[in-house]
Amino acid sequence: MPSTSIALFAFLAPLVSAAVIALLLRRRGGIASYVSSAAAALVAAGALALAFGGERFAFSQEWLRLGDFSLSIGIKYDDLAALMLAIVGVVGFCVHLFSLGYMADDAAKARYFGGLSVFMFSMIGIVFADNLFMMFIFWELVGFSSYLLINHYHEKQSAADASKKAFIVNRVGDFGFLLGIIACYYALGTVSLDGIAEKIGAGSVVTAAIPLLLFCGAMGKSAQMPLHVWLPDAMEGPTPVSALIHAATMVAAGIYMLCRIQVLMVPEALTVIMWVGTVTALYAALCAIVQSDIKKVLAYSTLSQLGYMVAAFGLGSMAVEHAGEGMMHAMVLPVGVGAAMFHLTTHAFFKALMFLGSGSVIHGCHHEQNIFRMGGLNRKMPLTFSTFTIGVAAIIGFPYLAGFFSKDAILFLAMKNNTAVFALLALTAVLTSFYMVRLWRIVFFGTPRSQEAEHAHEGGLSMTLPLVILAILSIVGGYTAIYGNAFAEVWALIPVAHGSDHTIILAVSVAVMVLGAGSALLLYKRLGGDALEAKAPAVFDGLGLLKESFDGLYNYYVAKVQQRFAMLLNFVEQIFLAGVIVRGFAGVVGLVGIGARALHVGSLHAYVYWFLLGAVLLWAFAAGGF
Amino acid sequence: MNTLPVDPLLLSIATPLVVALAIGLGLQKRHSVKLAYVGFGVPALIAVWLWSQFPGDPGASYVFMTRYNTGLQDLGFTLALGLNGISMPLYVMAGIVGLAAGLYAIQSGAERLKVYLMLLLVMQGGLMGVFASIDIFFFYFFHELALIPTFIMVGIWGGRDRSYAAMKMTIYLTAGAMLSLIGLIAIYLKSGAETFDMITLRTELMMHPMEFVTQKYIFGILMVGFGTLVSLWPLHTWAPLGYGAAPSSAAMLHAGVLKKFGLYGLIQIALPLVPAGAAHWAMPLAVLGVVGNVLIIGFITIAQRDLKQMIGYSSVMHMGYAFLGIACLSTLGAGGVVLMMVAHGLSVALLFLLSTCVYHRTHTFDMADMGGLAQKTPVLAAFFVTATMASIGLPGLANFWGELAIFVAAWDFSPTLTALSVAGVVISAIYGLRSAARVFFGPTSEQFNGVIAAHPPADLRWSEKIPALILIIALLFIGFWPKSLSTPLDSALRALYPAVEAPAAQVVSR
Repeated sequence: MPSTSIALFAFLAPLVSAAVIALLLRRRGGIASYVSSAAAALVAAGALALAFGGERFAFSQEWLRLGDFSLSIGIKYDDLAALMLAIVGVVGFCVHLFSLGYMADDAAKARYFGGLSVFMFSMIGIVFADNLFMMFIFWELVGFSSYLLINHYHEKQSAADASKKAFIVNRVGDFGFLLGIIACYYALGTVSLDGIAEKIGAGSVVTAAIPLLLFCGAMGKSAQMPLHVWLPDAMEGPTPVSALIHAATMVAAGIYMLCRIQVLMVPEALTVIMWVGTVTALYAALCAIVQSDIKKVLAYSTLSQLGYMVAAFGLGSMAVEHAGEGMMHAMVLPVGVGAAMFHLTTHAFFKALMFLGSGSVIHGCHHEQNIFRMGGLNRKMPLTFSTFTIGVAAIIGFPYLAGFFSKDAILFLAMKNNTAVFALLALTAVLTSFYMVRLWRIVFFGTPRSQEAEHAHEGGLSMTLPLVILAILSIVGGYTAIYGNAFAEVWALIPVAHGSDHTIILAVSVAVMVLGAGSALLLYKRLGGDALEAKAPAVFDGLGLLKESFDGLYNYYVAKVQQRFAMLLNFVEQIFLAGVIVRGFAGVVGLVGIGARALHVGSLHAYVYWFLLGAVLLWAFAAGGF
Repeated sequence: MNTLPVDPLLLSIATPLVVALAIGLGLQKRHSVKLAYVGFGVPALIAVWLWSQFPGDPGASYVFMTRYNTGLQDLGFTLALGLNGISMPLYVMAGIVGLAAGLYAIQSGAERLKVYLMLLLVMQGGLMGVFASIDIFFFYFFHELALIPTFIMVGIWGGRDRSYAAMKMTIYLTAGAMLSLIGLIAIYLKSGAETFDMITLRTELMMHPMEFVTQKYIFGILMVGFGTLVSLWPLHTWAPLGYGAAPSSAAMLHAGVLKKFGLYGLIQIALPLVPAGAAHWAMPLAVLGVVGNVLIIGFITIAQRDLKQMIGYSSVMHMGYAFLGIACLSTLGAGGVVLMMVAHGLSVALLFLLSTCVYHRTHTFDMADMGGLAQKTPVLAAFFVTATMASIGLPGLANFWGELAIFVAAWDFSPTLTALSVAGVVISAIYGLRSAARVFFGPTSEQFNGVIAAHPPADLRWSEKIPALILIIALLFIGFWPKSLSTPLDSALRALYPAVEAPAAQVVSR
C-alpha cells in the first residue's frame, strides 16, 4: 500500500470511529469502546509502518479559495512528523487499551470513547498539517476534544468549571496564534511550512512580533505561564485522558508547533520563549512539592517538564563540530529543536506511564486520589509499583534511563548558551527529583493508611499491559539507536556533550538527582501527613500561596473586572439606549408623519398601510411622479 | 439554461404562498397541517437540488434565470428571478432554515396554529423571493412580505413584553426599510438606467459610475438603513428584545434568514453599484461593527441571564464581523461575509430552536435557575453544545470559514481592528461555554429539582430532533466541505468585485 494511503487511513480511521459512535453506538458503550480502540490500533500500526517504512512525502489539496486567498489541507510527512505521529499512535493505543479496563463500569462509555476518537483525529491533523491555517483548525479541534473529555463527569461542578476554563484559556492563546498566522500570511505571502522555509531561506526577514504571536498559541496549548492555569484543573477528566491529552501528546503540541516554525524564530523571540519556559519549569516544580492529590503532583510535573522543553527550544542554536570529508568544520544547528523533541519523546513515555500508573492506583483504591490516604501499595500492587518506579527513575534522570539522556541534552545546551537558565534548570531538576521521590515514597511505602488502600488490587491485563509497554519505552527510549534511521533528521539535532563537557554534565546531573531524591527520602519518613508542612510550615504555606496566587488573580479578574464591566455596559445599554434613544427615534418617526402610537400591536391594518405606503411611494418615484 | 416545465425558483416562492392562501381561505386544520409540510418542504428540496446543480464557475451571470411580464416594464420593474454565486448560498440557507422552522412550528401546538402556519408560510415565500430576485423592486417587495408577518407573530404569539417588543421592532425595522428604500430609489434615479434590474444597473454603472458625492450620500443612506435591519450598533436595540419575545419559529426565520437581507443588500447591490461611496464609509462602518457590535455587545452578552436574550445579543455581536468583512471591500471580505451569513443563519436558528426545547423542560429562560439538565437530557445537551461550538466558530462547523476569511481580509484593511475583532473569539467562548455550563452541567439546582419533581424532563422528541438534525447536518456539511458554497461564490465575486476593489484602493492611496 502506498504511504499516502496508509497516512489517510490512519488519519480518517478515528474520524470514522467518532462518527459511527455518535450516530449508532450512543447506547452501546461496549461496542463503542472496541470500535474506538480498533481505530487507535490502526493509527498505531499505520504510524509505525510509515515511520519505519522509510518514505517521506507531502501532498496538498486546496480546501477553500476566495479571491487571492487559498487555504489547503495537506500532509507534510517528514522525520519530525513521523516521530510525533509515532508517539501519538503508541501512547494513544496504550491509553485506549488502559481505558477498556479503567472505564469498564462507566455509564457514558460511548461518549468517552467517541471523545478519544475525536481527539486522535484532531491530533493527527496537527501532526500532518503542512500549513499554519490547517494547524490552527486542528489546534482548535484538539481543544474541543479536551473540553469534551475534561467534562466527562459533567454532573460535577468542578469538572464543568475546569472544562470551561481549559477552553477559554486556550482561546486566549489562540487569539495570538491566529493573529500571528494572519500576520505571517501578509508578511511572507504564504503560511505553508515549506513556503515559509523557502522565503526565509531566500532572505525574507520577519519582525519578532510574528514568532511571538505564534508562540501565544503554544503558551495556551502547552500551558506556559501565565496561561498555565487550566492544566492542573484539567485533572478533573478521567485519568487515562490526563495521560494521553494532558501529559503526553496535546500539551506537547505547542512544542511541536514551535519546532515546525523554527525558521521564523529571531533571537529576540527565542530569548522570550527561553525565559517563559524556564520560569514555568521552576514555578511548576515548586508548586508540585505541596500537592497532596496524586494527579495534581503529576500535572504540575507535566507543566514543569513542558517548561523544560520550551526553554530548550528557546535556547536556540549552537555551533556544532561536524566531521565530514576528512576535516572538521563548525556548523550552526538549531539544536533547540533536537533537545526539545528528544525530551518531548521520552517525557511522553514516562509521563504517560506515571499517569496510567496513577490511574491504576486510583482504580485500585476505589477512586481515592489523596496520597496521604494511600501507602503500602508496593505489596498490594507490585506491577504498578515496579513500572511506576521505572517512570520515577526516568523522570528524575536516573543514569541510562530515557529521561537521563534527554534532560542532559537540555542541560548541556543551557550550560553552553546561558548560565542563568542553566542554574535555574538545574535547580528545577533538584526539585523534580524531590517531589517525584516524595510522591513515590508516600504512595507506595509504609502501611496502608485507609480502607481503600488496604483493599487495593491490581487491574486486569488491559490495564497492566500498557504499563509494561510504556515502562519498556521509558527504559530504552533514550537510546536513539533503537529507532534505526526513522527519525534521523531530528536526532541529528540533539546536542551531545563531548570531552570535559560530558563529564561536567554527568556530574551535575547525578548530583542534582541525588540531592533531590536524598532530601526527599530523609524528609518523608513518617508518612501520615505532609512532613514539610510539619517541619517547615512557612515554606509549605509559601509554596501553597505561590500556587494559589495565579488562580486568585484570574478569579479576581473574572468576577470583579470582567463581570462588572459587562454588567456596567449592560446597565448602560438597558437604561440609556432602551430609554432615551428609542424614544427619540420614535419621535423622529412620529415627525415624519406617521405617529408611533398608530402602530398598535395586533392591528394588522397599520402594517398593511405601512407596506402599501412604501409600495406606492416607490411606484410614484418609478413612474416619475415626483 | 432552463429546460424544466416549471421555473423552480418561482415554484419555491409560490408554493408556500399558495399553501398560505389555501389555509387562509379556510382549509380544515388537519389538511392545513399536511399542506404546510408541502409548503415548507418544496422550497427546501428545490433549494438543495439547485445547489447540487449549480455550476462551479458562473462568473457574474445569473443561473436559472427567468423574466416574467408583469406589465410594468415601462416603469422599470420586471419580475426577474435567478441566482448568482452570491445569492445561491443564501437561497439554500433560506430553504433549509425555513424547513426546520416550519417542521418545528407544525408540531409546536401553538394556539391558533392555522394562522401561525399561514404567517410563517408567507414569511417563507418572501424569504425565497428576496434571494431569488434580480430586480431590486421585487427584492424589496419580498422583504416587506416576509417582515410584516414577523411583527404580527411577535405581537400575538410572543412571550414576555411582547407588545413593547413588537412595537419597537416595527418602528426600527420599518424605519430601516424605508431608509433603504430611499437609497434604492436614489440609485434608480441617479443611475440614468431607469430600471431596477440589477444586471442592467451593473453594466450601466460599470461604464458610467455616479459622481463621488452622489455615491457618498447613497451609500450612507443604505448603510444606516440596511444597518438598522442587521442591528448595527447603536441601532440594534430592537433585536435582543424582539428575539427574546418572538415565538421560536419566527425568531429562527428572522434572526436566521430575514436579518441577512441588509447584509445581502450591501454586498449584492450597494458595493458593486456605489463602490466609491462604500470606500468613503468603510472605516466608520468597520469601527461601529468591531467596537460597537463585537466588543460592547460582546460584553453585554456575557452579562445576560436570560437564555433567549443571550442568544439574541450574541447574534447582534456576530453581525459586527459581517460589517468588518463588508468594509474590507474585497472578494475575500465579502466572500467571508456570505459564508458567515449562511453559517450564522443555520446556527442561530438551531440555538433558538434548542433554547425553546430547554424552556419546555425547565419552564424558565433564566439561566441562574437552571443546571444539570444534561443528566436528564443527554441528546439535547449534545445538540446544544454543538450549536454553541458552531456559533463560537469551531472548525468543522460552518461558521469557522466565514470568520476566518473575514479576519484574514481585515488585516489588509486594519490590523488594529482585526486584533480587536479576533478578541471576539474569546468573548464568544466565554458566554457560549458559560451558558452551556449553566444550563446543562454541574449538579441540578434547587429550583430545577422542584421543576423536575413536578414535570420529569424527557430527552428530545423526534419532532424536535428532526428540525435540529437538519440544521446540524447542514452546519457539518459546510464545515467539512466549504468549497460546496465558496467555489461559485468566489467566481461571482471575482467577476463583480474588481469594480469594488479599485475605488477602495484609490481612497486608501489618497
